[in-house]
Amino acid sequence: MLDNLSSSLKDALKKLAGKTVVDRAAVDELVKDLQRALISADVNVKLVMELSKAVRTRSLDEQLPKGTNVREHVLRIVYQELVRLVWASTEVRLEPQTILMAGLQGSGKTTTTAKLARYFQKKGMKVAVICADTFRPGAYDQLNTLCTKIHVPCFGNPAEKDALKITREGLVALKDHELIIVDTQGRHALEADLIQEIIDLNIITKATHRWLVIDAALGQQASEQAKRFHEAIGIDGVIITKMDGTAKGGGAMSAVAETKSGIAFIGAGETIDDLERFDADGFISRMLGMGDLKALYEKATEAINAEDVDMNAMMKGKFTLRDMYKQLEALNKMGPLKQIMGMLPLGNMELPDGVYDVTSTKMLRYRIIMDSMTPKELDEPTLINSSRMSRIAHGSGAKPDEVRELLKYFKTMQRTLKGLRGAGAGGGKFNMQRLMKRFSGQQ
Amino acid sequence: MFGGLKERLQAARNRLSSSIGAVVATPVAEPVVPHLPPAAGTTEPEKTAAPGFVEKVKVLVLERELIVSDKNIAEALSELEMTLLESDVALPVTDAIIISVRKNLVGRHRKIGESVDAMVVSALKSALLEVLGKGFDLKEYINTHPRPVKILFTGVNGTGKTTSVAKIGSYLHKQGFSVVIGAGDTYRAGAIEQIAVHAERIGIKVIQHQEGADPSAVLFDTVQYAISHKIDVVLADTAGRFHTKSNLMNQLDKIKRVMKPDLVIYVDEAVAGNDAVIRAAEFDRTVGADAIVLTKADMDSRGGAAISIAHTIGKPLMFLGVGQSYDDIIPFDPAGVVDELLDGA
Repeated sequence: MLDNLSSSLKDALKKLAGKTVVDRAAVDELVKDLQRALISADVNVKLVMELSKAVRTRSLDEQLPKGTNVREHVLRIVYQELVRLVWASTEVRLEPQTILMAGLQGSGKTTTTAKLARYFQKKGMKVAVICADTFRPGAYDQLNTLCTKIHVPCFGNPAEKDALKITREGLVALKDHELIIVDTQGRHALEADLIQEIIDLNIITKATHRWLVIDAALGQQASEQAKRFHEAIGIDGVIITKMDGTAKGGGAMSAVAETKSGIAFIGAGETIDDLERFDADGFISRMLGMGDLKALYEKATEAINAEDVDMNAMMKGKFTLRDMYKQLEALNKMGPLKQIMGMLPLGNMELPDGVYDVTSTKMLRYRIIMDSMTPKELDEPTLINSSRMSRIAHGSGAKPDEVRELLKYFKTMQRTLKGLRGAGAGGGKFNMQRLMKRFSGQQ
Repeated sequence: MFGGLKERLQAARNRLSSSIGAVVATPVAEPVVPHLPPAAGTTEPEKTAAPGFVEKVKVLVLERELIVSDKNIAEALSELEMTLLESDVALPVTDAIIISVRKNLVGRHRKIGESVDAMVVSALKSALLEVLGKGFDLKEYINTHPRPVKILFTGVNGTGKTTSVAKIGSYLHKQGFSVVIGAGDTYRAGAIEQIAVHAERIGIKVIQHQEGADPSAVLFDTVQYAISHKIDVVLADTAGRFHTKSNLMNQLDKIKRVMKPDLVIYVDEAVAGNDAVIRAAEFDRTVGADAIVLTKADMDSRGGAAISIAHTIGKPLMFLGVGQSYDDIIPFDPAGVVDELLDGA
């Protein structure tokens, strides 16, 4: 997700690693790297300049706290400044409310509307949506199709051209629903009549929240657009979409700084469940390679029961095919492995690519193959010889090669987890976690 | 369209001119009075009064020409760099442009009387032209190739592929070509309805299957239809996909194998930032791209993405999408754009 940015930041920080005194030249270099890293992540140039100035002054002026080295000291400052930049996380309450969606064309409002409906529905709320996009052909069909799949009522009328009229009717028709999401037409800040329309929509819906949907790839334009939207309707939250690509979301960061709001959600995937809550600390931590256990935890508790995956047992040592089965089952609910791994505090560790190289269809195949194994084989994978292998293949309708591939994948996983454990015991890689704790204690 | 970028480039250009212009008064070989342009505002020539009028005239008379040094333009260049970055020109591309301008200016002998401005403009112009490359004349291409000309549209989600297909369809239709559209986005809900409505409005036939169908099959049928009905151009819409999803990229590969497009058009948006470069390069690497359509250019007057993408994959920009109606599409002409950017003031 934020791979590139974090690796260049890591490089910059590495340069400070061995130093015991804050060295002006080294800080200057770090600041320059930081600038480049943030600019290539599309953070607004002016913001970057402010931020790097603050980092530089604070790094040089502030006294080195006892017990920290220069790198930790500077890292802490960078971290704090970045957190300040994304402001606070927007609070999402589970209470009756109306949410108005705003954003540029093609930023993903309609998809996000459906995802949000799904999110609140899963939290047990009675949700309905209104399609106020009267311009784009197929907009109503799109939203209606998505909503029908999750059984959420969708109000709209593709024949009606007046968005305000639809919304007024929709609000009446859906008044017994707790939460109403109004999807609007894409518009940009230079289209005065469309901006007027959204101001009117805001007035008639009396929206509790006005969320701005921002494409993670949006560049320097983000600040300007966010500013205009903010002036028009007072944006109180930002949703970043398309975070499953290579874009780093710096534009959204600028938008947040501009509207003085927070990032409410992150959209990262094509299915309706690919929406996660945003947490500023987590976002920055992940960017700095410090992992984000909190988001993982939130996601895990929602998707699975505690007994499904015993993370601790896994980390402690014994990892069998049975564990992998459970894990695959859980992962299926939680999203792609790489996303999960991104949330673990792995520090600078690089995981072998093979680990990620399992698509969801493959996972399903794996589970079917494992269903044909005996309990003994699941507990003791080394038992599986070629005759057992052909039996398993036969039983699951797979080729022996596929069984072999599964075992190979299992071995990679096992090795990776072993590596994690080793790192944990050595204390090296998990320093970051300790550092994180210190931040929260000292701020 | 690129008003914002134009304004900024003008400022950068004036800055460069004045930096170099100041050299007239401060000969390069005068280390006693280092030329330090103030951090903000314009360079003031009065600073150079120090060496004395007589001496100044002597140097000028004896040497008759001046050399532009790195130092003279360093600050102006770093300002140009900021300008480009703020205009969404990606970092590596900005570096390339700066290097090109510097190479072009440093060490140049400037004859007395030669216009500083002209020198700067030509350096900037050649740097930008180098980056933007040549345009792409679609009409010309269609006229010189066997019919039907098959054009495949690719790109990430939400960049405006479907809308661009409709606009280009309308454009070609008006130019007198017969056009058929293949509704190859069978994934996104409402996509088929969207393209069908567009096509109906502009009076073009659409070949469509139901949602969830194999896009290769849809587009194959479209090509067959075009062949049997002697249609000039096939426009193939596809679902948006991220370059990181290998299975979707493989699907695109299959589409290419099945419909054998003459042109693969990569569609991206003008408002995209640095990621534009990454994904353009990835699309170019995996499925190839023959030309680029840049959408939403009306949203952003800076136009940096155009420069970034063109530079990264070295393919010409074909059209710019500049609004919501079918006519809001203009063929891209790099020389014209560069001239406009550097013109006036």
